[in-house]
Amino acid sequence: MTRPIRLLIVDDEARLVETLSKRLTARGLYVEGVHSGADALALLQGKPFDVALLDVRMPGMDGLTTLREIKKLQPLLQVIMLSGNASINAAVEGMRLGASEYLLKPANIDDVLAKIEEAFHKKLIQEERLAAQHGPGA
Amino acid sequence: MTAATQGGAKASLWEPSRLLRRSILALLLTPPACLVFLGLAIFFWGPDRSEAFFVPLLAALILSTALGWPLAAKLRHQLAALARQRDAFYQELLRLSKSASLGEVASSIAHDLNNPLAIMREEAGWIQDLMKGGDLQGSHTQTEIANSLQQIDIQIERSREITRRLLQWGRDSAPRTETVDINLLLNKTLYLLESELETAGVTVAKDLPPDLPPVGGGAPELRQVFLNLMKNALDAMKARGGTMTLATRADAAGLTITIADTGPGIPASSLDHIFEPFYTTKPAGEGTGLGLPISRWIVEKLGGTIGVESKEGSGTSFHVTLPVQAKKDAPGP
Ligand SMILES: Nc1ncnc2c1ncn2[C@@H]1O[C@H](COP(=O)(O)OP(=O)(O)O)[C@@H](O)[C@H]1O
Ligand SMILES: [Mg+2]
Repeated sequence: MTRPIRLLIVDDEARLVETLSKRLTARGLYVEGVHSGADALALLQGKPFDVALLDVRMPGMDGLTTLREIKKLQPLLQVIMLSGNASINAAVEGMRLGASEYLLKPANIDDVLAKIEEAFHKKLIQEERLAAQHGPGA
Repeated sequence: MTAATQGGAKASLWEPSRLLRRSILALLLTPPACLVFLGLAIFFWGPDRSEAFFVPLLAALILSTALGWPLAAKLRHQLAALARQRDAFYQELLRLSKSASLGEVASSIAHDLNNPLAIMREEAGWIQDLMKGGDLQGSHTQTEIANSLQQIDIQIERSREITRRLLQWGRDSAPRTETVDINLLLNKTLYLLESELETAGVTVAKDLPPDLPPVGGGAPELRQVFLNLMKNALDAMKARGGTMTLATRADAAGLTITIADTGPGIPASSLDHIFEPFYTTKPAGEGTGLGLPISRWIVEKLGGTIGVESKEGSGTSFHVTLPVQAKKDAPGP
């Protein structure tokens, strides 16, 4: 087995973060949750993650702004946007800003897991490619 | 004068070039003809020929009436027809914008509803996870299950609140004859935008004194006006938050409703255009440029006025003044 996927959940719905964390932890992931974009950025300053589930609509810093800042802090972190309404605009904008996927609420846990794993593999490939570019000496 | 097409509804009446040609002809002909006859009247003026003086004068009068009166009637007719056409146009716009704003409201409510749904799904899923795990009797598992069930109940209550809001939106289409409690209507409209305002970091300040005189009818249309103005205020403050103020005041002029924001304001160069149909500074897909013209039309139909004050850099206030309903002894409709 590879190392556990390090997942960050960012959503202002505290209870959703809590229960989703429990369920994904039970499925073998390492999960942390925060309730705002600002908290997410503070955490990402000092701690690497593989994948983030990021709510689009939050009070304070919204999901798209958070996404932009996340990409500055950890460019390889794979972000999956979580949207409460089927607004294709936000999803498209998110993908343009570097999100790797999006999910609509209420999402099915199997879909969530599948997308997280997919995103994780994407990250591994990107890491390998980067390592190859920098050569064996790096 | 050419044979006038009386009887109103003919398509040719709408032909502006025809109307113009006819008006110009009549305008060109009337004054010289009258002058000729007046000239004759002056020529015949004198103590001996006093009776001859009346003939051309009469002719001048008859001619100007014959040419001018149908023309005036015609113009009046055309103006009334144009006003009818404009009303039909705005009615259609109103219908379209109502379904558009209902669509927006629906999308906002769908969003609000999807959050509790997502939580319920995870709670139910967590219970299933625990059941698959086997040990259902353990006290830890029992508390977990009880806790999740309680959470589902909390989220159902929350959802019910949201659907109630939606029902209220559809419900009060009170007939025009009923009076409207403006403060209540403002609060109900605000309710619809609450979560969007919160997300945008907009606080709401209310100055809604009780015991205002009611206004006479038009609740669904007025709600549309308030929704338009509040949405504009919200849009103006979306980028950096701010304060939206709702105020009502009754005085001799009637009942004045103020919806103000602390957004960027409207530049003087745009101020003249904001009530024009299709004038918008918002990106395509977000702005239609119909909110304000429709609002103005509705307010004027109800006998009121709408005005705007704006200062670049500090915000915008819209004022709607409506006539208040006369006291109880007003004759019934
Ligand atoms: N509160 C406001 N603050 C700043 N600008 C405003 C405000 N309300 C209206 N406007 C300006 O007036 C324009 C027309 O408004 P409206 O008729 O409601 O159409 P729309 O909102 O679809 O653009 C807006 O695009 C905007 O430029
Ligand atoms: Mg508008």
